[in-house]
Amino acid sequence: MTRPGFVLEVDDRTPPLVVHEGLGFRLEDFPLGTRVIYPPESLPGIADVEGAVREALLHPVDSDPLPERLFAGMRLTIAFDDVSLPLPSMRRPDIRQRIIEQVLTMAAEAGVDDVEIIAANALHRRMTAAELEHIVGERVFRSFHPQGKLYNFDAEDRDALTHLGTTDRGEDIEISKRAAESDLLVYVNVNLVAMDGGHKSVGIGLASYKSLRHHHNAHTMVHSRSFMDHQKSAMHQSAWRIGRVIKDTVPVFQVETTLNNDVFPRPYEFLMKREWEWSVRDQASMLAARRGLALAPQKLRHKLFHDLRAPYGLTGIAAGEVEAVHEQTLARVHRQQLVEVQGTSDVLVMGVPYLGPYNVDSSMNPVLATCMGLGYYFNSYRGHPVVRRGGAVILYHPLDEGFNQLHHPSYVDFYEEVLAETTDPAVIGEKYERQFAEDPWYRHLYRTSHAYHGVHPFYMWYWAAHAMDHVGDVIWVGGDRRAAARLGFRAASTLADALEMASGTVGTSPSITYLHNPPHLLADVRV
Amino acid sequence: MTQAPSGSVAGRLAGRHLLLTGVTGFVGEALLHLLLHEVPDVRVSLLVRPKGSTGGAARIAKLLEKPVFAQAVADAGGVEALLASRLGVVEGDLADVPPLPGDLDAVVHCAGDVSFDPPVDEAFTTNVVGTRDLLARVVEAGREAGRDVHYLHVSTAYVAGRRRGHVPEAPVEHDVDLEAELAWGLAQRRDTEHRSRSAEVLEAARRRAEKAHSRAGLLTAATATEQARRDWVSAELVRVGTERARSLGWTDCYTFTKALGERVVEAHARAGHRVTVLRPSIIESALDRPHAGWIEGFKMAEPLILAYGRGELPEFPAAADTIVDIVPVDHVASAIVAALAHPPEPGEAAYLHVCSGDRNPLTFGELYSHVRAYFDEHPFQVGARGAARLPDWRFPGAASVDRLLTTSERAFKVADYVVGHAPRGDRTRQVARELDRRGRRLEFLRRYLTLYQEYAQAELRFSDDATTALRERLSPDDQRTFAFDTATIDWPVYLREIHCPAVTAPVRRLDELRARRQGARGPSAGGDRLPEVSGRAGTEGSGAGEVAAFFDMDGTLLSSNVIETYLWMRLQELDGAGRFAELARVAARVPSLVRAERRERSAFLRAVYREYAGARLDDLDAVVDELLSDHVLSRLAPAAVRRVREHRRAGHRTVLITGAVRPLTRPLAPLFDHIEAAELAVDGSGTCTGHLSGSPVVGESRAAFMRDWAARNGVDLARSYAYADSHSDLPLLAAAGHPVAVRPDVSLYRHARRHHWTIVDWASPPSASRGLNPAGARR
Repeated sequence: MTRPGFVLEVDDRTPPLVVHEGLGFRLEDFPLGTRVIYPPESLPGIADVEGAVREALLHPVDSDPLPERLFAGMRLTIAFDDVSLPLPSMRRPDIRQRIIEQVLTMAAEAGVDDVEIIAANALHRRMTAAELEHIVGERVFRSFHPQGKLYNFDAEDRDALTHLGTTDRGEDIEISKRAAESDLLVYVNVNLVAMDGGHKSVGIGLASYKSLRHHHNAHTMVHSRSFMDHQKSAMHQSAWRIGRVIKDTVPVFQVETTLNNDVFPRPYEFLMKREWEWSVRDQASMLAARRGLALAPQKLRHKLFHDLRAPYGLTGIAAGEVEAVHEQTLARVHRQQLVEVQGTSDVLVMGVPYLGPYNVDSSMNPVLATCMGLGYYFNSYRGHPVVRRGGAVILYHPLDEGFNQLHHPSYVDFYEEVLAETTDPAVIGEKYERQFAEDPWYRHLYRTSHAYHGVHPFYMWYWAAHAMDHVGDVIWVGGDRRAAARLGFRAASTLADALEMASGTVGTSPSITYLHNPPHLLADVRV
Repeated sequence: MTQAPSGSVAGRLAGRHLLLTGVTGFVGEALLHLLLHEVPDVRVSLLVRPKGSTGGAARIAKLLEKPVFAQAVADAGGVEALLASRLGVVEGDLADVPPLPGDLDAVVHCAGDVSFDPPVDEAFTTNVVGTRDLLARVVEAGREAGRDVHYLHVSTAYVAGRRRGHVPEAPVEHDVDLEAELAWGLAQRRDTEHRSRSAEVLEAARRRAEKAHSRAGLLTAATATEQARRDWVSAELVRVGTERARSLGWTDCYTFTKALGERVVEAHARAGHRVTVLRPSIIESALDRPHAGWIEGFKMAEPLILAYGRGELPEFPAAADTIVDIVPVDHVASAIVAALAHPPEPGEAAYLHVCSGDRNPLTFGELYSHVRAYFDEHPFQVGARGAARLPDWRFPGAASVDRLLTTSERAFKVADYVVGHAPRGDRTRQVARELDRRGRRLEFLRRYLTLYQEYAQAELRFSDDATTALRERLSPDDQRTFAFDTATIDWPVYLREIHCPAVTAPVRRLDELRARRQGARGPSAGGDRLPEVSGRAGTEGSGAGEVAAFFDMDGTLLSSNVIETYLWMRLQELDGAGRFAELARVAARVPSLVRAERRERSAFLRAVYREYAGARLDDLDAVVDELLSDHVLSRLAPAAVRRVREHRRAGHRTVLITGAVRPLTRPLAPLFDHIEAAELAVDGSGTCTGHLSGSPVVGESRAAFMRDWAARNGVDLARSYAYADSHSDLPLLAAAGHPVAVRPDVSLYRHARRHHWTIVDWASPPSASRGLNPAGARR
């Protein structure tokens, strides 16, 4: 039986608690009375994954079974979520491989031979061949990649895009031409958190900048409360409007999967357990890990962490009509991640881990760390932010990883040139977004190398716009002071110092909530 | 104006006509000031050498604009009025003395080289030939006027040479053959120039230059060789002069030729003329005329006083009880005027010592304690670090000071060698910078201590009985007006309240200015800020032609070198064992490659590119496209790319110049308008032969390429930019108007600092991998 998530109140018997901070973690003594939100324990995974996949494809929701929608001579396109999901990457075989293999088998049986498989990476970096292979599996890779039938989506290839018109709010819809002109578009998703999936899959994953700019901006993000709750997210509402237009012209067969919370493999399982329940073995692993990490140079720590592959279990799969499927998906995500929290607090504490969606096999640069803390984790709520308006956020991350010049060339310039001028998301968008989005060098790198699109760092900053608008103070514990200052924040050496610094905003005895994340959790805040 | 009493100095000189040489010098200026103010009825002609495009008269007009002459000019009613009424200008040079005015009564010769280490030929020309020519003109003028012209010769007390003890006011005893020495001295320039072109001298200079500069190219080395030859000539002329002087018993060429000059003057006297030889000792700032502490330029002791105040003079090679003979400049001027008023009998030269050592001795120990007391009270504020620490002198004697200096110099040489060969890095550059500072200090110490050691050890006591007798002939009033009784000088007051403040004032002003400028610009001011890339081409300067930016690749744009890049390419094709063998083979060749690199860059590149023999060019392109572009891109220095893009935005042409093979530049192609890389030669089947299809573009050929490319494309190099990281890129950087050294090696760093080039630190991201087999994991 899986125990649900809960809120711990720190008392004098509470041991030091794990706080993630980049390529490492620390054990922190929280002030008495601090609320600590723990996610539910990992749900049991489905044993017969192949069977579950077949079952979903044969008995879809609000749709004919997949085999009935396949016919000889048709154009079939399979799109799938890129390397940004799940986090960390899944142990082989990836769930997408299992689904794509079965879809391809059914297509072969139906005599379909015009099949293309597209990574729906939107403005993310192109995946390497190895990364593609990891997701789709060796067999699919071998059969499709050499012929150029398995490839990354290119949002800057004007010839491979098609404009499907605009929504009733005037939002452009420009997506992959191949996908739009297919007789059937099968989208294979991994719904790690509540923001993923639904109309966000096709409408964002296969869209160009022209389309994305309508919802990926500071204004929309400030009004997405949160973007983990699609009904209250202005971004999702836009995506839904777009998705409904796409649905009218493109036959989409959506396959959504949900995973349990088994994010850390052995011997790091202790990171998913409650600290006071650590066994002797867990304690030994913890000590070994801490000592090892303290001694290891940064490159080795980077390798240790980024080589982790999560032993995720599948908690469910549904296929068919996008919205109906997504409803089931969200229910399963909530079962795994939702925790009920009563009321807000003055201070929200979060540890930013080594990995986010945009630094797989790369470095968590200061911009990404901000997005991870003030974007993803801050928005991990339903109803109301965990911290009160005007409260303080305390984040843990050293902010010292620097920039990966291969993956994030435009980030470096964003950090050096744009953030040096201003950190206000609205001003930044107004003044600089277009210049970066249309820069020929970034475009060249996005299309031919493995660089995120020139505009991507702006999106990271917009993700944090809601938090920056909502809270009064942001303090990084253990953060590089110069980097924190550049981001427009402050740095403290310890939690006690950070609380001292925040006392101007929240007083000397604030209520504190610590989001014990990862594994993923979604705080259902009741006010 | 009242009539001066007939016995007074002013009275005796009334209506006389004097001619002064060296009026633009320290003593000459003081003398002119004294004459203008205290001897109203004397006419003065000034023999002045035109300087550059400024004529003699203009130089005098300029001289009279100085504040010390303001009163005299105002009294006369303007510079022109003063020139018309009392001053005449005779344009001319001591090297070619013009005819003098016909009605002269006296000539004061105080022109001369005051440097202690002049080139030997110049010393003879000014001090002997110049004096002789001047005297010929004096005789000529005297004959014309039918009267005997009183010739007053300003010499130096140190003509006594390396004697010890008491020096009388009399001719220096020696039997040097004046004509022989003169002929020898004047021939030295020619001789030395000849010798400097001998194979031995040139070969040594060339070897040294090539060792240092061959990476940059042979022409750069040749330029350095020629410079070294010229430097050698200068040093040699000083050296032979000093050696000859010492071999005859003088301290240096200055005193030697001054002494020979006196012989010329004595001959003139013996021909039946009136002659006074006035020998001042060390002339320093004025006691009270034109004002207390008046000093022009730096004389003998000033550099040492300043160095001591900055804490940079750890010891001095003198004994504490040795007398240092100092005399204020106004005493010298007064003595000259008094001597002019009381000319000697013709036929025998009169000698006057203007010195303090005999009757009012000041020892080095006292001098030190007064200077120290001054700086204790008024320290220099060096930067933001407070007052400099003042060294405690213990006067350990010349030998041990020399030992100390020699040891320091040796240590410096070793450190310099180590830094020159150390791997580059911020730390090395910092050490190099510190070392250079120390080197300059040591050089300064060596120069001054060598120069002054002789004087510091000269235990001379100049008797000034004749001067005292002259003074006693003056009326009490004149003794006050024309004061030159050195016995009355209060050394503590003179040194602590007059001389030191005067000497340090300009330095303090400069320090203050610098501090203010630094304060305004922030602490990072200086050569580490890039010049703004200005807007569209043509908005700056005269605007002829476009602007281009030239970038070196390895080390500047990305952290790599050709050996590394060769391995990136080569290791792709091999399996595990093959890789190991290849690595081992290349590792074994590294020492010889490094040697080749130090010697000549192109030889090194050829040696590396030989390794490409047998590879197919198409394969290399494919390897780069598939496997290496990521590696190259991930190692780009972000700041460098930003700079390239800034140039493009400003409408500049961007050019990449590299010794790397062309396939490797493929990932960077979109950033540049032109890429000049090494082209591998291929045979008919597209296989590399291991040779290049042209010479590699390194060193000077980079500059040649730039000039050619600029000419073809209408680019103005003077407005263009160049970025590079190593000494071998010197010609490339020097060819552009805005050179920037990027993470430079030590020799480039030094060159860049000397020439005030911008120095920047563009680093590749620390997260970039440094593996030799970058794509290995990705396949």
